[in-house]
Amino acid sequence: MNTLHIAKKEIVTALRNKSTFIFMLAFPIALMLILGLALSNAFSGSVEIDDIKMAYKIDQASPALAAGWQSFADAAEESGVTIEALPPGQDGKQAVKEAQYAAYAEVSDQGIDFYDNSRSTIESNILQGMLTSFADRYNLVAAYANAGASSPASDAGQTSVQLVKTSSLTPDSKPNSMDYYAIAMTTMIALYAALSSASLIESERSRHTIVRLSAAPVSKTEIFAGKVLGGTVINAIFIVAVMLLSHFAFGANWGDHPGHVLLVLLTEVVMAVGFGLAAGMIFRNKASQSFLLIFIQIASFVGGAYFPVDDFGGFIGAISYYSPLRWNNSGVMQTVFGGDTSAALWAACYNLAGAAVLLAICMFLIRRRETI
Amino acid sequence: MNIIEIGGLTKKFGDFAAVDNMSLTLKEGEIFGFLGANGAGKSTTISMIASLLRPTKGEIKFLGKNIAKNAHFAKMNIGMVPQDLAIYEDMSAYENVRFFAGLYGFRGGELKARVEEALSFVGLGDKQKELPKNFSGGMKRRLNIACAIAHRPKLIIMDEPTVGIDPHSRNYILQSVKELNRMGCTILYTSHYMEEVEEICTRIAIVDHGKIIADGTKEQLKAIITDSKEIWIDVKSVEGLNQEQLKEIRGVLSVRIEEQRIKIQSRAEIGNLNDIVQQLIRDGMEIRAVEEQAPNLETVFLTLTGRNLRD
Repeated sequence: MNTLHIAKKEIVTALRNKSTFIFMLAFPIALMLILGLALSNAFSGSVEIDDIKMAYKIDQASPALAAGWQSFADAAEESGVTIEALPPGQDGKQAVKEAQYAAYAEVSDQGIDFYDNSRSTIESNILQGMLTSFADRYNLVAAYANAGASSPASDAGQTSVQLVKTSSLTPDSKPNSMDYYAIAMTTMIALYAALSSASLIESERSRHTIVRLSAAPVSKTEIFAGKVLGGTVINAIFIVAVMLLSHFAFGANWGDHPGHVLLVLLTEVVMAVGFGLAAGMIFRNKASQSFLLIFIQIASFVGGAYFPVDDFGGFIGAISYYSPLRWNNSGVMQTVFGGDTSAALWAACYNLAGAAVLLAICMFLIRRRETI
Repeated sequence: MNIIEIGGLTKKFGDFAAVDNMSLTLKEGEIFGFLGANGAGKSTTISMIASLLRPTKGEIKFLGKNIAKNAHFAKMNIGMVPQDLAIYEDMSAYENVRFFAGLYGFRGGELKARVEEALSFVGLGDKQKELPKNFSGGMKRRLNIACAIAHRPKLIIMDEPTVGIDPHSRNYILQSVKELNRMGCTILYTSHYMEEVEEICTRIAIVDHGKIIADGTKEQLKAIITDSKEIWIDVKSVEGLNQEQLKEIRGVLSVRIEEQRIKIQSRAEIGNLNDIVQQLIRDGMEIRAVEEQAPNLETVFLTLTGRNLRD
């Protein structure tokens, strides 16, 4: 009960704070608007589906898989994605490196090996989503076939080969600059939850209210849990508000799986809250704010918050994979534009694993202290 | 009945013993004054009673139960008024008290009633909806007290509750302390203001270097130093005063100077006032007034610790 009592106080006081609204709502919306509109022409990541090219090679595939693949390729072609069989003698991976293709797939009964160009994040996310969707459906059909049962589609009078189709990309679901920045700004502002969370416990110390909290019949764990819950809920409220505003005000596309997208964003918030609390407890006061600000800015820059990270190579390209924004943006984009919900689940798993480690560090520090 | 029993209490920070083998009892219904200079060990002792710090050694019993093993019971029955204001400036007076009282498990109508009662008690009943940032220092101090009493504790620990406030608010708080005591609360009170302690405390302990060096009623404490007296001599200027010569006069124990006042502590049975005055005249002092002081708590404190309370 005390956990909820403390969380409620955090939420109420945060909602009264005008600067919270400015920072968590007006700031991302303004950036979305500026970057999404002003840079729309220069925005190379505003991908036209017609521009996406993928090469493939079928090797030792069963007739069913080969037919299924062809069905997938046809459906993709209808959407404007060019899927070409690799000319004999050409190295597919090299062709991707040289940006002749956004991705290359090797199809066999052992699975699909997918190679993408890290400089074409959006294109590869879309293709990866389409392929994952294809593989899921093919596996489903194969499972029905192996079990000797009739598939739902067979019941409807269709052959299993016809079933192996990818969902066609609708002409409207191409990511434009506003779509990109709606996602990028929302994942960025979710990470900014760390900044406000850094002071959740340290502000009690600076206001001396920590004495009262510690003198009350409330355990350190209850106080900590209340802070985490309050910080998560308040940031989640703003994340949902940013999503809704971007959708209704700017027409940003959040796809057909809003639950999965929300899962990614909410788990990112939990991780950010844990990160902020840990930084606050380790560095104390202003040092933690400075550390977090620098970290978030770098993570935002290399994680694709301000522009797609397709063009990064070398060291920056390598460290971009360690930015929470990179895996969260990737998870959300694959879900929104490729329909690949498993990407969202992976991103959520990374976030939860990070949150678990960070919150465990906080609990360790709290237990070492005499007062929270 | 003893509300607090402290036995062999020690708290060390590294090699430094902030509280050193302290033993003490507080009886129910007392207003107990805890006197000591900065760093004497008062706040550390208070923090251990309020379960904010863990003792290195020794034990504290609250109503006969060991605090370490019965922390929840003790916390439910102890109210803490910290020396620093511990309130949320962005929450109204009502919300502040409601939040802290809510931590003690009160909800709904009972919570509302207790919050209103606490605010009325400290004279902020008509300021419930106002934010503390608009309050005067005295009003903030009163709110600080309201946050500690809404759960009706049996023991209230007040750590310098009147620091930095106007005389009117100080008087209000002192009357409130007495009223709380009349209502059945035991008070553990620390202050730098000796006159406050003399006015409201029924028993006093003097703490120095982590130990209790004297403990009793103010009369008992004053009786400790019946063998000394204090002479106050007001002069136009202390320029040219030879303190060493004064200290050599028979019976003089110490000499202190506070602006234009010379405070001389002397053995009570020796009549040396004439020698002292003659020495001052030799030093060129222009004497304005001479006063022989009966022992007070300040004298007691100085005699026992060798320093002023505000040192």
